[in-house]
Amino acid sequence: MKRVLIALSLGVSLLLAACGGSSGATNPSTGAPAVVVPTPPAAQLTGAGATFPQPFYDAARFAYNKKFSQVTVNYQGVGSGGGINQLTKKIVDFGASDVPLKASEAAAMGGSDKVVQIASTLGTVSMAYNLDGVADGALKLTPDTIAGIFLGKITKWNDSALAADNSGVNLPNQDIRVVHRSDGSGTTYIFTDYLSNVSPDWKAKTGGPGKSISWPVGDGAQGNAGVATRVTQTPGAIGYVELAYVLQTKMKQAALKNHDGTFVIPSAAGATAAANAFAGTTPSNFSIVNAAGKDSAPISGYSWIIVYKDQAEKTKGTALVDYLYWLTTADGQQYAVNLHYAALPSSMASYDLTTLKGVTFGGSALLSVS
Amino acid sequence: MSKGTAERVAPPPLVAAGRQRRLIAGDRVFEVIAYGAAALILLIAIVFVIALFIPALPAITEFGLGFFISRTWDPVRTQFGALPAIYGTLVTSAIALVIAFPIGLGAALFLAEDSRLRFLRGPLSFAIELLAGIPSVVVGLWAFFVLTPLMRDSVDPFLNHTLGFLPLFQGSASGYGFLTAGVVLAIMVLPIMIALSRDVIRAVPRALREASLALGATNAETIWSVILPYARVGITGAVLLSLGRALGETIAVTMVIGNRPQITGSLFASGYTLPSVIANEFTEAVGNVYLGALFYLGVVLVLITIAVNVLARLLVWRFTSEATAA
Amino acid sequence: MSHPLVRAMVDRVVGGLIVLCVSVAAIPVLVLLLFVLINGLPGMLSPGFFTDPPYPQGVPGGGVLNAIIGTLEIVGIGSLLAVPLGALIGIFLSEYGRNQIGDTVRFISDVFTGLPSIAFGIFGYTVVVLTTHHFSALSASIALAVLMLPVILRATETALVLVPNSLREAGLALGAPRWRVTLEIVVPAALGGIVTGALLAMARAAGETAPLLFTAFGNDIIQTNPLQPMGALSLTIFRNALVPYPNLQQQAWAAALLLVALVAATNIAARIYVRRIQR
Repeated sequence: MKRVLIALSLGVSLLLAACGGSSGATNPSTGAPAVVVPTPPAAQLTGAGATFPQPFYDAARFAYNKKFSQVTVNYQGVGSGGGINQLTKKIVDFGASDVPLKASEAAAMGGSDKVVQIASTLGTVSMAYNLDGVADGALKLTPDTIAGIFLGKITKWNDSALAADNSGVNLPNQDIRVVHRSDGSGTTYIFTDYLSNVSPDWKAKTGGPGKSISWPVGDGAQGNAGVATRVTQTPGAIGYVELAYVLQTKMKQAALKNHDGTFVIPSAAGATAAANAFAGTTPSNFSIVNAAGKDSAPISGYSWIIVYKDQAEKTKGTALVDYLYWLTTADGQQYAVNLHYAALPSSMASYDLTTLKGVTFGGSALLSVS
Repeated sequence: MSKGTAERVAPPPLVAAGRQRRLIAGDRVFEVIAYGAAALILLIAIVFVIALFIPALPAITEFGLGFFISRTWDPVRTQFGALPAIYGTLVTSAIALVIAFPIGLGAALFLAEDSRLRFLRGPLSFAIELLAGIPSVVVGLWAFFVLTPLMRDSVDPFLNHTLGFLPLFQGSASGYGFLTAGVVLAIMVLPIMIALSRDVIRAVPRALREASLALGATNAETIWSVILPYARVGITGAVLLSLGRALGETIAVTMVIGNRPQITGSLFASGYTLPSVIANEFTEAVGNVYLGALFYLGVVLVLITIAVNVLARLLVWRFTSEATAA
Repeated sequence: MSHPLVRAMVDRVVGGLIVLCVSVAAIPVLVLLLFVLINGLPGMLSPGFFTDPPYPQGVPGGGVLNAIIGTLEIVGIGSLLAVPLGALIGIFLSEYGRNQIGDTVRFISDVFTGLPSIAFGIFGYTVVVLTTHHFSALSASIALAVLMLPVILRATETALVLVPNSLREAGLALGAPRWRVTLEIVVPAALGGIVTGALLAMARAAGETAPLLFTAFGNDIIQTNPLQPMGALSLTIFRNALVPYPNLQQQAWAAALLLVALVAATNIAARIYVRRIQR
């Protein structure tokens, strides 16, 4: 049935395209209607920040440059904290962070009315592990066991707490090697937000969610990629990594017990389910961890892009909003979907559009889209 | 060149005339340019100090000297202390010297002294120079992919098995940590250790060596009783210079240290060093205090390195000049 | 301890230990080079390594052209800044610097030589990046120039000091002013040492990573504008080592091989130049 629908929408879009030009394309996987994307002026954009969405951002900027060769986007994944920091100093054109600005961070940028934040994608965090003899998805983790491991209370894989949830799984008598982030990370924020939500112990010990925290145990690695590498190379390791990295490198990930008690393997669909459990998500009300719903992936989150409301240069500013518009609509979002992020729900997409329209130069809006 | 003048030294400007005066003015100009260049490096040094020190002020005023003894490195609660990083720096450097000193000294004795196997001297010198030229990031790359699994799977368990009664070699080993970083530093420091020690040993007067041999001492006894005591000061200087190099090594260490600000007795554990904290957290330090704390670490690092280097050069310089004067 | 046989045995043992030390000292470089060669060749020989920038995951191929251009340009600009200034200061030290100012300059130069490389990165960031609100290759070049300066300066001074005074006196005796003697007689005589110093400094700068982390910042696109962020071989190696993608890791090894080859070539070039001059 699904295939028929896809074929139909493909056929319709081909017809529409043949009937004469839009500079957009129909996304076969979401079947969304054609989107007209404005042609940007020539510019070189620099962005920095989160590694959570980096695979998506890399694929996107590559494709955008192929489509509009006059615009190049240079993005470096230095961690959410780094992105915010560099944007505050106005050294980059846009900052990327998995967690929106705190009050103090917004104040450092001149006040929360001087910056705008849009959601760029929706993803979920996996618990990746390196255990011989335990297959992908065979390990079951609950909020209590995850908190126990990262608090340093559970130190061996064959601990009774883990064994209780994993009957039939051959857990070895091996040390658990915890890996966390060494840089200021939005992924860490999402993860610690989840742990603070589900474990009062964790909250008491570490003080709550944060991009950089004082970790009770574990080694630090830089970036989602660094954690992924460390886990892949260290037998007995466990770490929290964004789903795209896990799937791209074929790491093993655990099934996580969500709010409703179901064990789910993190997926894009799970992220979408989690997002839909929260109405009215905005930068000030952004947490979607521990979502209700039997399909919800428990450690999910949006990733955000932050820019100054009033741009300093007209050409660059126009190219910037054009790029971000493309990124948050069907054409750009397909690259996210291909990499196992979830497409932005339409409510977030329209929030983004309204927000982008508010970006100005010298008082007048830069985005020329209806 | 002017035609046929017999003067050997440029005459005073007042007396000179025409072309002579222009050429003498050229001297003045050149002197000004040369002094200007010197002034420029002084200026760069001053700017350097300012650029390092001023941003550190928020942290210096906030934490004061307690910074050096505080064990907490907590960005969330904005509590920063340098002790874990200082500890890591000292431990890894100490391990590096413990490994590099005997090996370096032995190799230096061979290069400076040994009459046997002389044909090996050239290739060995070349190999050492090559090692000195390999960029730090390449050593780090190799350490990350090759040394770390080797340490984790072979060396650390072996040490645990044989020397595990010492707290130094207890605890689980992930391959990243103080010991691996120490080994990497030893590799990087070896060329300096060898080159300097060789120069120091060469500076020992031949007469002393020959006298000892003439009296019937063996090579080993000459080395032990004559050369090493004489070269003691210079070798200390060489060790100190190697220490200075180890203290400042950033990239190779960052790749294997484990990135965990902690103070612990086990060498297998992960840690942090002053340069690697800065490298890892600099781009993302938000807020004047956090950033200031990193700059404060930088100030500490620079001061320690300068002190060690100055002391070292004094020793080496004094030794070699005394030795050659003797 | 005084029995002749014991003494002879001790001598043998110590001799053996020394040879052992020598062997152990030689091992790291051999092992390192071997691994870099073996792991780096496949990446180097893959198509597109020298001609393409890196591609995102999922797109096959890619290379390090952006990094090659970046390293050459950043080091090139840095050398343009450091070599003339360093040579000039070296000339100052040898010809005019036998005084307190000269000693101060030498002291500062020695201090700079011993500084950790990350300090130069901090310098470049604070002085250039923060003021221009831009990561740029230029800020990296400036950081590297300050790093190279002491090396070039010392090499120049040493080379000039080695030129026999008789040359200077001969020139002055013939009536040439001091500046012409320096520039046209002494410096050419010392050129071998100066060029060697410059080349070695450049080779060192090409391998540096820490000063580039927060100045050049990195760029996955082929970039030649020095006012923009730029990639470099050392940055590629550092960052690719830490990602879990085998193709990027392979590029890291290949970039390492390229960097080592570059450094080795520069060193060899310096030696050949010196030998040619000495003929």
